[in-house]
Amino acid sequence: MVEFERFELDNGLRVIFHKDTTTPMAVVNTLYDVGARDESPERTGFAHLFEHLMFGGSINIPNFDGPLQEAGGSNNAFTSNDITNYYDVLPVQNLETALWLESDRMLSLAFTEKSLEVQRSVVIEEFKQRYLNQPYGDLWLEFRPLAYKVHPYRWATIGKNIEHIQEATMEEVKDFFHTHYHPGNAILVIAGNLDLEEVKRLVKKWYGDIPARKKKVRNLPQEPKQTEFRTKTIERDVPSDVYTYGFKMAGKGQQGYYEADLISDILGRGKSSRLYKRLKKELELVTEINAYIMGSNDPGMLMLSIHPNDGATLEEIDAEIWAVLEELKSNLIEGTELEKIINKVKTTKAFSEQGVLNKSMALAMNELLGDANLINTETDEYEKVTVEGIRSQANVILQKTNCSQLIIKAKKNDK
Amino acid sequence: MINRTIAPKTSTVTHIDFQSPEIDTLENKVQVYSMRKTDDETVRIDFVFDAGSLKTSKIVAQLAGELLFSGTENKSSEEIDEEIDRLGGFTGVEVSTEKSTISLIGLREHVVAIAEIVVDAMINVNFNPKEIKQLLQSKKKKMAISLEKVSTQARRAFLSDLFKNSPYGDLAQLEDFNHIEKNDLIEFHHSKYLSGLQYISIVGAVSDQDLNSIKTLGNQFNKDEVTPIENDYSYSPNVIHIEKEQALQTAIRVGRVLFNKQHTDFIKFSVVNTILGGYFGSRLMTSIREDKGYTYGIGSGVAQLLETGYFFISTEVGKEFKDLTLEAIQNEIKILQTEEVSKKELDLVKNYIIGQILEQSDGAQAMMDRFIAVETYGMDYTYYDEFIKQVNEITPIEVMALANQYLKWEDFTIVSAG
Repeated sequence: MVEFERFELDNGLRVIFHKDTTTPMAVVNTLYDVGARDESPERTGFAHLFEHLMFGGSINIPNFDGPLQEAGGSNNAFTSNDITNYYDVLPVQNLETALWLESDRMLSLAFTEKSLEVQRSVVIEEFKQRYLNQPYGDLWLEFRPLAYKVHPYRWATIGKNIEHIQEATMEEVKDFFHTHYHPGNAILVIAGNLDLEEVKRLVKKWYGDIPARKKKVRNLPQEPKQTEFRTKTIERDVPSDVYTYGFKMAGKGQQGYYEADLISDILGRGKSSRLYKRLKKELELVTEINAYIMGSNDPGMLMLSIHPNDGATLEEIDAEIWAVLEELKSNLIEGTELEKIINKVKTTKAFSEQGVLNKSMALAMNELLGDANLINTETDEYEKVTVEGIRSQANVILQKTNCSQLIIKAKKNDK
Repeated sequence: MINRTIAPKTSTVTHIDFQSPEIDTLENKVQVYSMRKTDDETVRIDFVFDAGSLKTSKIVAQLAGELLFSGTENKSSEEIDEEIDRLGGFTGVEVSTEKSTISLIGLREHVVAIAEIVVDAMINVNFNPKEIKQLLQSKKKKMAISLEKVSTQARRAFLSDLFKNSPYGDLAQLEDFNHIEKNDLIEFHHSKYLSGLQYISIVGAVSDQDLNSIKTLGNQFNKDEVTPIENDYSYSPNVIHIEKEQALQTAIRVGRVLFNKQHTDFIKFSVVNTILGGYFGSRLMTSIREDKGYTYGIGSGVAQLLETGYFFISTEVGKEFKDLTLEAIQNEIKILQTEEVSKKELDLVKNYIIGQILEQSDGAQAMMDRFIAVETYGMDYTYYDEFIKQVNEITPIEVMALANQYLKWEDFTIVSAG
């Protein structure tokens, strides 16, 4: 049970406080309700570029990292298609340093040309390092536009291409800040061995005078129901082929989400999963096979990732995969198999919530989804899933017309 | 309105409370370390063996480790996996050069049952040829993919060159995965697993009864003397470039053989390393990422081995920035050697380092890691008191002297790939 208190400032900032008496550290986690899905299709990668700019100095403080490090702390941030999340971890007695820094960059950035110019280059190098200069690095750049035609999930957080990052202007940076970075669009989580009244006092002191702005209503184009099987084959200079399948499924908190998550575990999580046992151990058609879900807030995907064995053909592998999927659609799974999967979910959840930082991030994410307390009730949701529910959701998701398939073929060369 | 230009007061960490694990010694002389004061239901158990890759030729250690759950006379690998999964357990195998660590995690109510399955599998593994073949296939594929990366290419060339006189530099090749003699695996398993258990660490609130059950399991192994590593750490600096035409970035590794935490200069050199490339605000990050934008990241560190260690700088930069980056690195080192670091920067680094030790000691698992990190080198927690003391004491003159002594450009091996 993760206990917490909730309060809100007049300017709309939502604050969650988690008291943890076991740690000498404090966490300040700030989630902004903006991600790559909020970008213009003409300026993709912007939310992530913006995250870099958040470290380039704020209106009253020229350098973000320095004072935090001097206080014995460290920090980082990440951007996803759904959110942007910033966190600071520091000795609890220096909590106020993090509040001072975070509140100032919520108030306003410094917006220096130098910072924009340098971070554009840094992000372009990140683009190369993670997406272009790695074997299979562009997999998601190819897969997203295949599976999504309308919804902004059709591009990756890094952006569609380097040009979009190169062309970002200061005007756009300021506009993005103004639209998305304000108290009403943020969730602040503070955790550590602190008292609620003291936390309230400090949060009011540093965040109380930040002007409220109106929260932009999110009005994203919804992806129409997929009605045809999509497949695309690309050739790359890689050592071996990789096949990727994606099936549309519910977003977090939507009906069918927990069933779909468990279906992915039944199919391809770990060595006792169905696809692993059948395709790898029994038939030796693949050297690796995994299933997982994207876990996105809007309708997402259940993914299969497959490394074929030498000599195995796509036709053979595809036929066997569909046979395993059909089995799940036709027959109820045994209660013991469901119990096994739920036991693994419980272990994973217990470990993923270890430590004050993980708890803080989970509280913020769940609050965004509607209620921070979901952190405490999520396991119950998994336990409510029935074998009938699994079968009926399998029939919704695991349809050929709901599937997108990307085949990466290794270019044949003489080396 | 508050004045936001004035930073809140901060205070320095003066005391870190290090908790010792309970230490038991089994009849077979294997140590059991346990941290049982935790506030959740999770348990992690590590079995650590003298079964690193240096203790045999090439890939035998790696394969033996990864095959530990591949089946016994009485159980197939599928049955073992199924049993562990039913209990919500997860296992992990990590084979390094010097040791191998077999981990299991699970919830408290199931952890002894999981450990029983794991230990039975480890002891009675029969190295089924089909399992060996499947593992070779998948390892070879993974390695082929990894070898495409410029970062892998640079790291391998760097290690092979730094340790060309030692097994640390003798890396597995793709061809090695074509075949393995089953007997080599059996022999290695016999000497390094059945008789090579070094210690067991337990983090989680297990009961006395559960602890006893785990001890009983540990007693099924033996503990032979650790095989010494035959080494000649003399090395000669070198410059190596691996051309990869289509690469968009060049991976760079610069460094030298140095020392580990047993050396008297280690702690103070850690401060020098932090200033240069050991944190986000370091000189290398500031110059090469935040000022020039050549890279997504650059860092330096001291990797520790049992008997020595090595210093390295590591980055991936746009192909067109390779020479400019090497120049900039050289320049930053020169500044460190010729100009005194300001009191402001040095104080920041001192506070940062001590804050990091506090963070890295937060929680039972972190505390166990801190304990193992000194115990492995025959030291105890007084090392951290000494660490904090020396970090607080170091002067700008000492920083400069250490940079001159250990960071001579002509002592470095410089590798680039891309």
